[in-house]
Amino acid sequence: MEEMNVRKIKDYIVYTEGLEKTYKDNGLEVKAVRGIDLRLKSGEFTAVVGPSGSGKTTLLNIISGLDTATRGEVWLKGRLLSKMKKRELADFRRDNIGFIFQAYNLIPVLRVEENVEYIMLLQGVNKLERHKRVLEILDEVGLQGMGNRLPPKLSGGQQQRVAIARAMVSRPALILADEPTANLDSKTGGALLDMMKELNRKTGMTFLFSTHDNIVVERARRVITLQDGKILKDEVKER
Amino acid sequence: MVLLKIAFRNIFRQRRRTLFTALSMFGGFILAAFFIGWADGTYNGIIDMFTRNRLGHIQIHEKDYLDRPSLYKTINDMSVINRTLEEVSGVESWTPRLYTAGLASLDDKTAGVQILGIDPVRENKTTSFNKKIIEGRAFSSASAAEVILGKGLAEILKAGVEDEIVVISQAADGSIANDIYRLIGITESGDEMTDRTAFYLPLEEAQKFLVLEGRVHEVAVTINNLNDVERIHRIIEEKLDNPRLSVEPWQEFARSFYMAMKADKEGMWIMLVVIIIIVAVGVLNTVLMSVLERQREYGVLRAVGTKPSQVIRIVLLEITFLALFCIVAGAIAGLLINTYFASHGLSLSNPITYGGIEIRAMRSEINTRSFFIPALIVLLSAGFVSLFPALKAARTDPARSMRFH
Repeated sequence: MEEMNVRKIKDYIVYTEGLEKTYKDNGLEVKAVRGIDLRLKSGEFTAVVGPSGSGKTTLLNIISGLDTATRGEVWLKGRLLSKMKKRELADFRRDNIGFIFQAYNLIPVLRVEENVEYIMLLQGVNKLERHKRVLEILDEVGLQGMGNRLPPKLSGGQQQRVAIARAMVSRPALILADEPTANLDSKTGGALLDMMKELNRKTGMTFLFSTHDNIVVERARRVITLQDGKILKDEVKER
Repeated sequence: MVLLKIAFRNIFRQRRRTLFTALSMFGGFILAAFFIGWADGTYNGIIDMFTRNRLGHIQIHEKDYLDRPSLYKTINDMSVINRTLEEVSGVESWTPRLYTAGLASLDDKTAGVQILGIDPVRENKTTSFNKKIIEGRAFSSASAAEVILGKGLAEILKAGVEDEIVVISQAADGSIANDIYRLIGITESGDEMTDRTAFYLPLEEAQKFLVLEGRVHEVAVTINNLNDVERIHRIIEEKLDNPRLSVEPWQEFARSFYMAMKADKEGMWIMLVVIIIIVAVGVLNTVLMSVLERQREYGVLRAVGTKPSQVIRIVLLEITFLALFCIVAGAIAGLLINTYFASHGLSLSNPITYGGIEIRAMRSEINTRSFFIPALIVLLSAGFVSLFPALKAARTDPARSMRFH
């Protein structure tokens, strides 16, 4: 029976069971996530939607290992996060998860190319390979010829493209994107989402968004709605 | 390499803040460099004057003479010492001396004296003896029956130039040594105690008087550079290689003066601690501010897999780059300042008297420690106080710092 469970977990990129997260805020207990069972298969393009305070961000933080659950477990690529030591978890996250943030969060003193290759440097990828992959990904996100620029010199849309390139360049299994379009106008946001969807199709990487932007919802193949820390709806759109 | 890049480029992000941090390090370096150069220059000046004036930088005696002086503990062969000192480079000059106690009298005045037999030519070359004669003249030869008295002793005996002074002592052969000498000069060494007992005779005359022909009690040596005392003292000792002789640096034969100087010099560290605090507060303030400001950035770095130790390295490298720049700039500025004060000095309207020595100007000194110590102060204090902000940066909780928003 246990062996069957292990096999079942290994079928998923993300497998959570009974996730709960309770914060203490001014002495009061706040339940941000209440018993979430989430399963994502490889190559999914999924949006988690819900009003502010519904637990979207907390859920993404727990899935990525940036935060810990009060109760329940997370398996990523079949590995149980709670069993990992801090350093091991940091390495695992570096090699398997790409992050895209609402505020881009690029390193302002590093040029576009350097920002994109940063994770590969930490991974110890050789220089030739890094250079090749940086050029390829910048080409794919439409930033060819902009590698030498510093992030503050770029528009919001361009910065988010750099962030996408940075998240994808090391070919992680999972991309977590938290409100990636929130700081962009609808046209730019739409174009970026189309680009990510195309990259998802080409690379087979799994995308998990947290959003309340329709631009994302419209393009997601699966939409999970959260309310008060619980899954209210889980819809898979027909292709 | 990328960590170096981040650290280096971070320096130029908040230029005003960087400038304040740099100023506290640069200012601290210059203050420390100047203060050490100044203290070393002043103290070495006093020590050099004190030793050159009377004692010499190095002395040679028969073994145990310093601990238990005796008329009979003499250096019997000056020719070996003369040859050795001629060979040692860095030796400026030397002079042999003979010492004993006696009783001097003029008319109805009598006083206990210290009889000093000196070689007029060598003593003048080594300690500028003739310049201290305030009345009368110098010895005419090493064998003349002449005496020069210290100013205080001349006053006690109410003696004037051309008076005849009677002196009694004990000779080395056990007989009573007594003679009459014509007073040809009065000297003022700057040390009142010495001047109240000093009874100078030409060396050969003193040797004859004490029946110690060809023998001396002490050889005082001066060297070109005070900082070479230890080295030259060792060389002389090795070259003489005589267990009956002892060669001492000034720190040993003028121990109480050395201890007083050392204690005074220790006071310099209090000033250096104040400088360390200035640098530390300046650096801690600005580094902590920038770490707090960049919390989100460190959060991102941690989220994408940067190790805590790498984050610490970024913060420490940034401050190290800045410290190195300030050290180089401070060394140039400190060198210029110390060079100016080493050559021009600071004239004192009221000369200071220290141990009988009058100092008319205070001068700085250029030496390696006046750059080495400030460099260490800046680097270590900046590095040490940056550890706390660096640890704070390394402990950034990615989720909390970014809140995913």
